Amino acid sequence: MAYSDKVVDHYNNPRNVGSMDKARTDVGTGMVGAPECGDVMKLQIQVNTDTGIIEDAKFKTFGCGSAIASSSLATEWLKGKTVDEALDIKNTDIVNELSLPPVKIHCSVLAEDAIKAAINDYRAKQGAPVAAETVAH
Amino acid sequence: MFSGPPPSDYFAIFGIEKKLALDVEDLQRRFYANSREWHPDRHARAGAAQLAYAEAASAMLNDAWRVLRDPVARAEYVLKGEGFNISEQRGRDVPPELLEEVFDLNMALEEARNGDAAAKAEVAIALAKFERILSEIDSARDGIFVAYDAAPSREALGELRSLLNRRKYLQNLVRDARAALV
Repeated sequence: MAYSDKVVDHYNNPRNVGSMDKARTDVGTGMVGAPECGDVMKLQIQVNTDTGIIEDAKFKTFGCGSAIASSSLATEWLKGKTVDEALDIKNTDIVNELSLPPVKIHCSVLAEDAIKAAINDYRAKQGAPVAAETVAH
Repeated sequence: MFSGPPPSDYFAIFGIEKKLALDVEDLQRRFYANSREWHPDRHARAGAAQLAYAEAASAMLNDAWRVLRDPVARAEYVLKGEGFNISEQRGRDVPPELLEEVFDLNMALEEARNGDAAAKAEVAIALAKFERILSEIDSARDGIFVAYDAAPSREALGELRSLLNRRKYLQNLVRDARAALV
């Protein structure tokens, strides 16, 4: 199976690799894993608590090229968005942008789950109610 | 007796009831006995219908033996038969507290592959821990087997499904960790 040029680009030059201090109250951390392939993804956002805008995003993913590209792309999209806007990012957006084949769709799902988990973590730290759809995980 | 196709159910081809907890030694005895009985060479001159049956039964028996002898493959087979789809689950069966450890092990693995000796020691410690968790999972699995056989329920199968997902995840990690320590 051939990876699309965009996947290869993100895989070779992943954006925003790294980690933040997860103890900080303005940092939300999402850690998710996919049992089928053993992929594990950590995605973090640092939010301006006054404006609600995500000022920085970092990730570290152990997994295939598509998982790395999905999380790399997600961090690019997250920066500059408000937390609410970030919740609108759907895995299908990632699939379309990266031209992921059907067998790799779970990688984009993982990235969406990681975004939601990071936002939930941030909101929990801020004392806000977490998004209902991810509460039941 | 040789009309129609042989049973397509793995338990039926062995002539046993569907059970999660199986006596593998008994299964092996049945496998040898049935294999002898249905060996195509023994039916070569008995007519086309009987030979076709023997060939199909032998093939089915081999498939069934490969699956039923292994507790994990057997459980997957029963789960699939009961409509539990393996590909539907996402990142939900690995509890968050274990994910942290999984992530840390992956970090240590990456560093160990880059030649960091201290990271190798971390991998070894983590490996021992994950192997312990795996054997706990196998004990829990055997417990569910017995409980399900006594009183079949969707709940028990759901529990088994998530246990096996978790096991698969950890199995992959343990394999990688072992490879890194060679």
